[in-house]
Amino acid sequence: ATLCFQAFLQMCNLPIRVICRANAEYMSPSGKLPFIHVGNQVVSELGPIVQFVKAKGHSLSDGLDEVQKAEMKAYMELVNNMLLTAELYLQWCDDVTVEEITHPRYGSPYPWPLNRILSYQKQWEVRRKMKAIGWAGKTLEQVLEDVDQCCHALSQRLGTQPYFFNKHPTELDALVFGHLFTILTTQLITDELSEKVKNYSNLTAFCRRIEQQYFEGQERDSAAIAARSSKRSLLR
Amino acid sequence: MAAPMELSCWGGDWGLPSLHPQSLTVMAYAKFSGAPLTVNTINKSWRTPKGDLPVLVSEDTVISQPAKILNFLRKQKYNADYDLSAKQGADTLAYVALLEEKLLPALLHTFWIEAENYCSVTKPWFASRIAFPLSLYLPGKMSREALNRILLTKGGPPLYSLTEVEAQIYRDAKECLNLLSKRLGTSQFFFGDTPTTLDAFVFGFLAPIYKVCFPRVHLQEHLKQLPNLCRFCDDILTCYFRLTVSGHSPAGQDTADANLQKLTQLVNKESNLIEKMDDNLRKSPQHPPRKLTTLKLAAGGEESSPMSRLSP
Repeated sequence: ATLCFQAFLQMCNLPIRVICRANAEYMSPSGKLPFIHVGNQVVSELGPIVQFVKAKGHSLSDGLDEVQKAEMKAYMELVNNMLLTAELYLQWCDDVTVEEITHPRYGSPYPWPLNRILSYQKQWEVRRKMKAIGWAGKTLEQVLEDVDQCCHALSQRLGTQPYFFNKHPTELDALVFGHLFTILTTQLITDELSEKVKNYSNLTAFCRRIEQQYFEGQERDSAAIAARSSKRSLLR
Repeated sequence: MAAPMELSCWGGDWGLPSLHPQSLTVMAYAKFSGAPLTVNTINKSWRTPKGDLPVLVSEDTVISQPAKILNFLRKQKYNADYDLSAKQGADTLAYVALLEEKLLPALLHTFWIEAENYCSVTKPWFASRIAFPLSLYLPGKMSREALNRILLTKGGPPLYSLTEVEAQIYRDAKECLNLLSKRLGTSQFFFGDTPTTLDAFVFGFLAPIYKVCFPRVHLQEHLKQLPNLCRFCDDILTCYFRLTVSGHSPAGQDTADANLQKLTQLVNKESNLIEKMDDNLRKSPQHPPRKLTTLKLAAGGEESSPMSRLSP
């Protein structure tokens, strides 16, 4: 999710200095993810951030007509509904993954026994949510099938275009990139999830393209940003 | 030949075949794709709903969620999406996700959580269709499940109280309705002239909001301001469910049907009588049969056409 809105901010080509500062402050450890801290305002979640950025005068979806905007919102919901829930399911409801990866990772900043307590609490919370929306009864295969269907739909929509809505990237591209990149690069017990995504070559090409275009540039800048943020913290 | 398929679901009222959005979706899809489905609505019998409705039973397979039921119907070659391109299929998936995320919470809230609506309409209606004593327990359970679902999916920070969550979900629902209206535009169905899965889902979610008479109706009022969506619902109801548009005339049509049935029976009786008399007269040759045959012809001419139309 972090990656989604980083990509989005990069795509906005925002007056870079201003927003990158927000990014750098975000890199410091904080409570909720993702959120940005701009001046004295704190905005969290991709939706409000998009609106906030729009209010400041930058929007990626201005070039779309009404029907396309409706489609974009629908696809964003699909991604949220399917991919996000599937990621949560894999992290918290699949026992093997939970034991070996999630519990240690989630509880790592805290000493024992707090790490175990907090991660069990989070797991219980996620399982409750899954039950409420009807995913508790699903097996891993069914979840993977749903992810496959979702990727198939995204792949069909993308086709051979560079971005989902032709020539210019939109919020949808940022969201999809964030999720797919996370799936492709996170190490899990099994590679089934990333295999599902890799089946669709245009989606992997899409991720690679966005990475090259928007994030390789950032690596050069990040050294400059780190220098700038340390200067700012000194000034405070 | 496909095995006979039976669908158990909640019944309907106010001009709808069912009040339950998922049941309505499945019924609409069955009509669009021409699947021969026997619909059993839940009534006060002891075959109580176990788990979620709608439930499709075909031979030995029991399938319960709408998406799975639709998949099953497609495998049985009842496919309403045959003419769709791959991209349109992808769009269908996306729009269904939009409906479930944005519209369903508000729908659940209007039916099950809004206190006035729940106490005066939803609870008595559902309780009247479930056998005692389950009718005391089940509506409450459904209401709690709805609340749970809304709070768990929508109730995280920065929304901390139920009223804030409610405001947010109604905002989302209105936005969703606007988006659907823009997407539908002026065409008859979402993908051209034939209805598809997406039309079934949209109809299933919109029709209860549109038709059911609740005391607190701001979502319905918003929907009524989008005439193309209202027209969409009405079209499907009249074309595929042969129900009239306004809420009270199904009752009128029922009485008309009953009258028609009575008339048919009367006519049949009379024609039987006339035939018998005719036979008797033919056997006794002294009476001229001409008058009666003309009478029969006249009677037959008037009545044969309704009879041929009405006889099953």
